[in-house]
Amino acid sequence: MTFQKTLGLALALVLTAPLAPASAAEIGAAAPAFTLTDIDGQSRSLEDFAGQTVVLEWTNHECPFVKKHYNGGNMQRQQAEATGKGIAWLVINSSAPGKQGHVTPEQARAIQADWEAGQSAYLFDTDGEVGRAYGAKTTPHMYIIDADGVLRYNGAIDSIQSADVADIEKAEQFVEIALAELAASEPVSQPLTRPYGCSVKY
Amino acid sequence: MRPLLPSFMLPVLLLGLLATAAPEPSPAQGEPPALRTDHLYSRLVAEDDAVVPGESLRVGLWLRHDPEWHTYWRNPGDSGLPTRIELGVPPGFEAGPIQWPIPERLPVGPLVNFGYSHTIVLPIEIRVPADLDADSITIRARADWLVCRVECIPGEGEYNLVLPVAEEAAGDPRWAADFARADRLQPAPAVGRAALSFTAETVEIRLPAQTTNAGGTAGDTGSRPEPATDIDPQWLFFPVTPDVVSNAAEPRWLDTGEGLALVLPKNDYFVAEPARFEFLLARGETGKRFEARPVTGARGAAADGAGAAPVEAAGSAAGAGAPGAPRLPAAPGILLALGLAVLGGLALNLMPCVFPVLFLKAAGAIEAADDRGRLRRQGLYYTAGVVLSFIAVAGLLLALRASGEALGWGFQLQSPVFVAALVLLFFVLAMNFAGLLEFGGRLAGAGQRLTQGSSDRAAFFTGVLACLVASPCTAPFMGVALGVALTLSAPAALAIFAALGLGLALPILALGWVPGLARLLPRPGPWMQTFRQLLAFPLLLTVAWLMWVYGEQTSASAMSWLLAALVGVAFGLWLLRIHWRWPGYALLALCIALPLLRAPAPSAPADRAAGEAAAMHERWTPARLAELRAAGEPVLVNMTAAWCITCLANERVALSSGAVRDALRARGVHYLKGDWTSRDAEITAYLESFGRSGVPLYVLYPADGGEPVVLPQLLTAEMVRQAIEQI
Repeated sequence: MTFQKTLGLALALVLTAPLAPASAAEIGAAAPAFTLTDIDGQSRSLEDFAGQTVVLEWTNHECPFVKKHYNGGNMQRQQAEATGKGIAWLVINSSAPGKQGHVTPEQARAIQADWEAGQSAYLFDTDGEVGRAYGAKTTPHMYIIDADGVLRYNGAIDSIQSADVADIEKAEQFVEIALAELAASEPVSQPLTRPYGCSVKY
Repeated sequence: MRPLLPSFMLPVLLLGLLATAAPEPSPAQGEPPALRTDHLYSRLVAEDDAVVPGESLRVGLWLRHDPEWHTYWRNPGDSGLPTRIELGVPPGFEAGPIQWPIPERLPVGPLVNFGYSHTIVLPIEIRVPADLDADSITIRARADWLVCRVECIPGEGEYNLVLPVAEEAAGDPRWAADFARADRLQPAPAVGRAALSFTAETVEIRLPAQTTNAGGTAGDTGSRPEPATDIDPQWLFFPVTPDVVSNAAEPRWLDTGEGLALVLPKNDYFVAEPARFEFLLARGETGKRFEARPVTGARGAAADGAGAAPVEAAGSAAGAGAPGAPRLPAAPGILLALGLAVLGGLALNLMPCVFPVLFLKAAGAIEAADDRGRLRRQGLYYTAGVVLSFIAVAGLLLALRASGEALGWGFQLQSPVFVAALVLLFFVLAMNFAGLLEFGGRLAGAGQRLTQGSSDRAAFFTGVLACLVASPCTAPFMGVALGVALTLSAPAALAIFAALGLGLALPILALGWVPGLARLLPRPGPWMQTFRQLLAFPLLLTVAWLMWVYGEQTSASAMSWLLAALVGVAFGLWLLRIHWRWPGYALLALCIALPLLRAPAPSAPADRAAGEAAAMHERWTPARLAELRAAGEPVLVNMTAAWCITCLANERVALSSGAVRDALRARGVHYLKGDWTSRDAEITAYLESFGRSGVPLYVLYPADGGEPVVLPQLLTAEMVRQAIEQI
């Protein structure tokens, strides 16, 4: 019967159809792609960093929790160590125009220079699209994407939820630990933690 | 004896006094003024004017916030930090934990925090040793907090409180009202323990059967237990244990028959099932503190079957009592769900996508009408094919959900690749039905082996095909049954899916087993060829519709490529027909493999939403819904997907009709539409909070926070209009 052959062919092709990959920011899934403008007006995509581990840091220079980690030198130290190992460190500002923490590229450059920050790029997410795609809630809020573009960490920078610089050295540095585990090809032991800080000013 | 102003506080105080013109609580004579930090006055206060050896003393951190500013509760919610108090007491004294008063819900955009505004005291009880031998004691405290409006400012303070030691103490009138309010706001421990259960997206909390107030407020110990105050869905929910349930979502209340249960989406930072979960339920100044432990074995209230029905809030009871008013449909028990599943399967046979396949099987039956044994055997093989395929798909769905994927029924269609595969399948079937193709030779090795030479095997795979083509046509009965299925244990869920398959296979099965039925079939003849050709058109219509779904999921250009691939498939089949074998095979392979391999990423809902900006609805987000609900606005939520025929029909017939549009406008109802065409964990969670695993879902929220009404899955304009007018 011709029908049976048709059927067989059709079945063969349907049964082998794979399911599409997930689209949300989930641990173990592909990190949402993005293209944003950096401090120099250049377009930067997540794809540009393929093959590299990428750290995303949501920032707002007026937020006391961001200030805690910059004034305490914690953020700069981790940035320097990571970029020294070939990791891309992207600082993202999702503050909408008119909201707290919204800055011009010149202001951003001055702020980061003043802190002696060592990010690979500073990106503007003025419409908040990338922040929402990742579910960024606070500043700081940290993400780690591995060399294959898979999201490996989502959460706080460290374990002590406070705005007190003195707490930094007592805290478990989640990002640092996760990066070390990834470098050793081990699974990230705490891939999801609750971020703390100021709400992102979308 | 009056406390002296500690020297370290002087600069802070001076700065504070100079910097602010805000009205400051006037200090009593000799009392140090409150510490002024950003947007907050704070001080350490005692409930009584003296310390009595052997008794307990309550002190507290007294906070007065500037208007619009707040500090946080022990669980601050989505952002913020809990206020911390470190007490320094003399040796022999023992300080207890902070007696946190019931907080306020503080929505900030899409987030919800828990905290305090205006004036509040955070009390701490201190045990005073009986052998205290001193004229006075000094209690020191160090506190820090985060004070926020939209922006947040961390603050801290250090305090000293000197109290005389005396035989008797009297209440300090300055703080009496504040302590009394903190007492009224103390949640009383609830009697009994709540039970927790988890699904992939939700947490269900079943309240103890008898929720009685264990006592009065924490302040007046020794009072007799009060009679039970009935908890109802008007009570507010506050999670004490963080990172388990969503802070922003309002719970969905269920009546399990044995008591109330609350369903909440999981928190974004839910990592593992907690061994213990604490929460408050509060109404006004009355609150109860519950402790919950996970239950093992059971899978939630819905699993208990009969009797689990969403609770009608008192506010909506009047409207719901009117004749013809939409009621919340009760979640069915397992037997009812099985029955519904069989009926749903039967109804599937009439869907435009399944009917042609049914005809294929029936055509076989017509030819074999006289051979009862063959009819029966093929009917059984067909049934086995259908049922096993349903179980396989359901098993895959359950396995994916167990691994944490946010999926519901119809999940296959959320994948553009699967939709493309269905387009190709239906197109090839349509070509065959239309008689445009007469295949010669071996087409596909795999396909041939599946079907060649054995009509039993063909019957089995016709069953598999029926399951595949049925997937886009979720019949209205199935929504509820499948929603229940996914909350049940795996065997029960699989049984429901198997029942669905059985329903789908029933007509063919009946041919062989019901005496006389086969004889009712028309005699075979040339009409069958004509009828078969006619059926090519519903198949092509299905192709057109799936093509649109694919276009919605991807883009117009991806859809055009798929169309081109269809032309290529037709051309390849024609090449085969004129015996140009190898070019034909090559072209077929190319046109079938390419659309499946280079699957375009699903487009973001936001892109699609942009095109709908002019439409009368807004895009659904949990935040937008919470915002409108908080503002007391009435809301209609429509959860839909491009691949859901029922949804599209309802939108055409009812929701987009003039009558409904006018009613929405007249009552000022906001119309929010959630698009589940591609995967969306937030929508999945929302569906599950209503005990559903698939679309459509229509929920009507009355103004001023009344209990939502779930509309039926098949709508008429009149029904929707009435529902809107009754809220």
